[in-house]
Amino acid sequence: MKKTIQKSAMAAAGLLILLTATGCTMQPVKAWQRGDLARAEMAFETDPMLSGYRRHIEFSKEAATGGPALSGGGCGCN
Amino acid sequence: MKLRALGALAGLLLCVALPSPAQTGPAAPSIWLPQADGTPTGLRDLRGQVVLVDFWASWCAPCLKSLPQLEGWYGELRARGFTVLAVNVDTERKKALAFLKRKPVRYPVVYDAEGWWPEQYGVGGMPASYLVDRQGRLRQSYSGYSEKDLPRIRRDVEALLAEGETR
Repeated sequence: MKKTIQKSAMAAAGLLILLTATGCTMQPVKAWQRGDLARAEMAFETDPMLSGYRRHIEFSKEAATGGPALSGGGCGCN
Repeated sequence: MKLRALGALAGLLLCVALPSPAQTGPAAPSIWLPQADGTPTGLRDLRGQVVLVDFWASWCAPCLKSLPQLEGWYGELRARGFTVLAVNVDTERKKALAFLKRKPVRYPVVYDAEGWWPEQYGVGGMPASYLVDRQGRLRQSYSGYSEKDLPRIRRDVEALLAEGETR
């Protein structure tokens, strides 16, 4: 009796996991939906001025390694 | 036995002698969408014309070039039965209207914010165009915009226009 209950519980748990896993499927963005990605609210930083300011700080601090772009940049003099 | 062979031969000859069916294609999904003023418009209304169904959006940079190009062709060829049905897929219509203010067109523009019709056509890139013949059959499809492709598209349009004119 106990084993049967255990088996049923396991089956129910498995089913639940399967059902919830379907929520993790990824739907690729369709061609006509790409405009949504270009919207301002989809950007990591929505304020362009603040974003520019942060990039400037990052660049001046990390210039020896190429700033926020490729590594190995700069004049190589420091 | 001889009779059967004769019948088969006659059948074969008949197949060869019959005029080949006109070039065919699948029926184009019948678009039915509102224009800016709310007037529902679809491919059914344009039956008898060669239609270039053009999916576009205000955020699509190549559309800045493709819309004026199609407008030019429309002005040039509409007397021969050519038209464009532009399907805008912007989620915000005001953006599409602002775009059309900058790049006005005379051909019908319909709005599909839900993206139902691009799904039916299997649009894979923006802009995407589909050439529909006078009988409403899908004959060609084009994805993206490149000036290199224009002569080929133009030839396809002319060929479909000529099909109707020779009949």
